Amino acid sequence: MKSAQHWLDSIRALPLASRVRIMNVCGGHERSISMAGLRSALPRNVELIPGPGCPVCVCPEEDVHFAMQLALHAGVILAAFGDMLRVPVNVPKMEPRSLEQAKAKGADIRPISSPQEALKIARENPVRQVVFFVAGFETTTAPVAAMLMEGVPDNLLLLLSCRLTWPAVAMLLDSEAPGFDALIAPGHVATVMGPGEWGFVVERHGMPAAVAGFSPASLLAAIYSVLRQMQEGKYFLDNCYPEVVRNGGNALAQTHLKNALHVVDANWRGIGIIPASGFELAERFAKYDARKVFAEYETQGRKRSGEMPPGCDCARVVLGKIYPDECRLFNTACTPRHPIGPCMVSDEGACRIWRTG
Amino acid sequence: MCLGIPMRIVSIEGYNARCEARGVMREVSLFMLQDEAITTGDYVMVHVGYALQQMTEQEARSSWELLDELLAHDPDVQTG
Repeated sequence: MKSAQHWLDSIRALPLASRVRIMNVCGGHERSISMAGLRSALPRNVELIPGPGCPVCVCPEEDVHFAMQLALHAGVILAAFGDMLRVPVNVPKMEPRSLEQAKAKGADIRPISSPQEALKIARENPVRQVVFFVAGFETTTAPVAAMLMEGVPDNLLLLLSCRLTWPAVAMLLDSEAPGFDALIAPGHVATVMGPGEWGFVVERHGMPAAVAGFSPASLLAAIYSVLRQMQEGKYFLDNCYPEVVRNGGNALAQTHLKNALHVVDANWRGIGIIPASGFELAERFAKYDARKVFAEYETQGRKRSGEMPPGCDCARVVLGKIYPDECRLFNTACTPRHPIGPCMVSDEGACRIWRTG
Repeated sequence: MCLGIPMRIVSIEGYNARCEARGVMREVSLFMLQDEAITTGDYVMVHVGYALQQMTEQEARSSWELLDELLAHDPDVQTG
């Protein structure tokens, strides 16, 4: 594998006439870019834009609120990935405004890092109902589907807020001003789903694209690839992460997804409904669907339900319309210690990465 | 959460494997790789406790270097 320096030199040797905006759609990519200082190492007219790459950031506020109601009032054990716990919701003063605060009020909420831990909690507590609240992209959704196909105990229910990554990019590209000229496609999503699902970027929109891994060398190889494609006027979907990204991806993982879940229209926080971009449990798993089992806990008419906190520009950050430091709350009212918007909460949120990276 | 960790398989029992990375042992599900020929000593890319794909030792090592840097930078980062 060629070094990061090799790719950087190759990029610098390209005669770049105009500004090129390259979007990434993966919090892991953004973290590597920030940490390695790639922005300052690249020629000034190459812009790297963090796009929709954070599942926690786009998880509907209503879903977080629903998870809190289950934990506070339905007597369940609520298991969720750690960075969901601090996402604030819109509630009247004095009420707990995050899962973390609900936990402090006595709700049984357990931060986990794997679907297997949710399984373990359910098995160890056979007389309790356990709800696994899961926000994630394909890399997380496929393991959840695999867990279902392998078999789960009857007391483990799922509250799914999983999303597909490519439909958000398709929505941006179909809009009047996508705001970018080339795409770096997410490496581990492509590991599961195959690189081919990003072909539409090239074929339908005439835009260069490359799948990248998470090392500076792989990211720079992908950046070089899309710049070179633009230079030559020959666009194709490049694979700069062949270590784990194979044509067709992981076919078995995709079969699990198809058998356990259905693709449905889904709401993205602050963005709205994106067609065929989310998942629900297949009919055969309906009894594990926390939305159905606990339907009476859905609250209606809550003030500012689904809205972003006042002044928070997370939605435009997620869509790559502005950089994190262009939000007026960034690093003033909104910090990793006291986050206001979800992009400052999650490890994959652009604001948190910009602050810590 | 899309940050995967390359791990070496230490032992396999059914669809589950004991895997090791940098001295840390974890239970990893091989359920999404059950059609592959995988044995002890092989390397896999692990995400949220599930092996997503096989990889070579050399590829695993270069990913670890990246991961070490990431963790040194922000110890709070969730590695799934």
